Amino acid sequence: MFLAPKPSLTRVMPSDPPITSGEPGVTRLRVVDTDSYTDWESVYRDNIERLYRLMYARVGNRADAEDLTSEVFRTALGPLKLASSKGEVRSYLLTTAQTILASHWRRTLGAPVTTIDPESAMTSLAEPSGIEEPSDAPQRATKILAALPERYRRILELRFLEACSIKEAAQAMDVSVSNAKVLQHRALRMAAKAGLEVGQ
Amino acid sequence: MTTRRLSAFLDALAAGRRPRPFQADSEDVEMLRVAIALRAARPGDAVPNESFVAQLQEQLSDDLNPSVQTNVRPLRMHRGRAALVAVAAGLALVGGTVAVTETSNRAKVQQSATAVPQRQALRTASFQSPTGQVVGQIVLYHGHPSWVYMNVDLPHSNGPVKCELHLANGEVVAAGTVQLHDGSGEFSQSIHMDAGKARGATLYDPSGAVVASAIFI
Repeated sequence: MFLAPKPSLTRVMPSDPPITSGEPGVTRLRVVDTDSYTDWESVYRDNIERLYRLMYARVGNRADAEDLTSEVFRTALGPLKLASSKGEVRSYLLTTAQTILASHWRRTLGAPVTTIDPESAMTSLAEPSGIEEPSDAPQRATKILAALPERYRRILELRFLEACSIKEAAQAMDVSVSNAKVLQHRALRMAAKAGLEVGQ
Repeated sequence: MTTRRLSAFLDALAAGRRPRPFQADSEDVEMLRVAIALRAARPGDAVPNESFVAQLQEQLSDDLNPSVQTNVRPLRMHRGRAALVAVAAGLALVGGTVAVTETSNRAKVQQSATAVPQRQALRTASFQSPTGQVVGQIVLYHGHPSWVYMNVDLPHSNGPVKCELHLANGEVVAAGTVQLHDGSGEFSQSIHMDAGKARGATLYDPSGAVVASAIFI
C-alpha cells in the first residue's frame, strides 16, 4: 500500500449557495476538506502533466506516453471517489498507471522494460503544482554515458540525445551506416551489461 | 529477425516515433531500457502538448457527462484491458462506491453495484512473477462476508492456478483457483477468514511451482 497522507487541514466555508437557517443573519456552514479535490477537472488539471512526464520517462516517445496517460485517466476517473484525499487520489492514479504500463510492455514487447515504483513516483506526484518537476533523467543519462568508451558514448549521444538518424550519426562519426549500427548495438549492450541502474 | 526489429524499435525511439511491437528477449530488454533512459533525458517531449491536454479533457468530459451527448453512450476505453485495471485499482485504493464484477468475456464487461466497501476494509497487492513482472492484482475485503478478488495475466499459460493466502500467524489458507484462458483469468469468491490477518498470497501452477506472489503492506 502506498503512502496516503491523511487530510491535515480543514476549513469551514459557506456552502454554495448559502443556506440560511430560520434565524436571521445565520448562515449554515459546511466543512470543506482542503486536502481533497472538488471535481474531476481539478484532479485532471493537477495530475495530467505529472502523469504524462512519468509515462514519457518510461516509454521514451510522445505517442505512447499520450496513449498511456489517456488510458490512466479513462480508467481511473470513472470509479474515483472525490471525498478521498489528494494523496489517496494520487495513489490510485499511480496504481492505475503502474498496471497500465505493465500491460503496455507485456503487449508490445512481452517483457517489463520499465516499471513505476509507487513510492518514488508518489514523491514526484506530490510536488506542488506549477513547479518544474526535477527530473533525474539527465543524471541517469550522464551516468550511463560516463561508463562507456568515447566512441560508444558518442554514438548514443548522437542517436538518443541529439536525435540524429543512423545515417547522420554515421556521417558525424565518419563511419559507414553499418558500422554505426554495430557501434550503437555494442554501446547499448555494454551499458546494459554494466549493470547500471537505468530502470525507472 | 529480432535484431532487425530491435533496430527498427531503436530507430523509432531515436526519431520520436511510436515503435512497433516485437517479441523482445532479455538482452533486448536491457538494451531498450538504456535507450529509453537516454531518450527520456532529451528535452522537449517530456512536457505534454497543450492540445493533447485540452483534447483529453474534452474527451473525458464527454465520457463522464454522457447526458451532454446522448442518453446512452458506450464506455470509451482504448482496450478491454482497462476494465480489469479499473476493477483492481478502483476497489483497492479509492474504496469506491460500487464493487465491480465482470464476466470472463472482457469485451462485454458487466458492472453491478453491491454493498459499499469502506476503504479501511479493502486490502490490495500486486502479484509479481519470480522475475519481478507484475502479473495481476489481488483484493481482499474484510466484512460480512469477506471476499477475495484477483486477476491474473500470465502469457502463454493455461489451466488452473491455485492461490494461497499467508496469515500473520503462519497459517496458510487456500483462497481458490483461477482458471487461465489464453494466459488470463479472474476470480472472486467469499472467504471465511479474517482478511485483515493476511500478509501475502502465492500463486502455484499445477506442478506446485510458484508462478507469482504478492505482499499486503
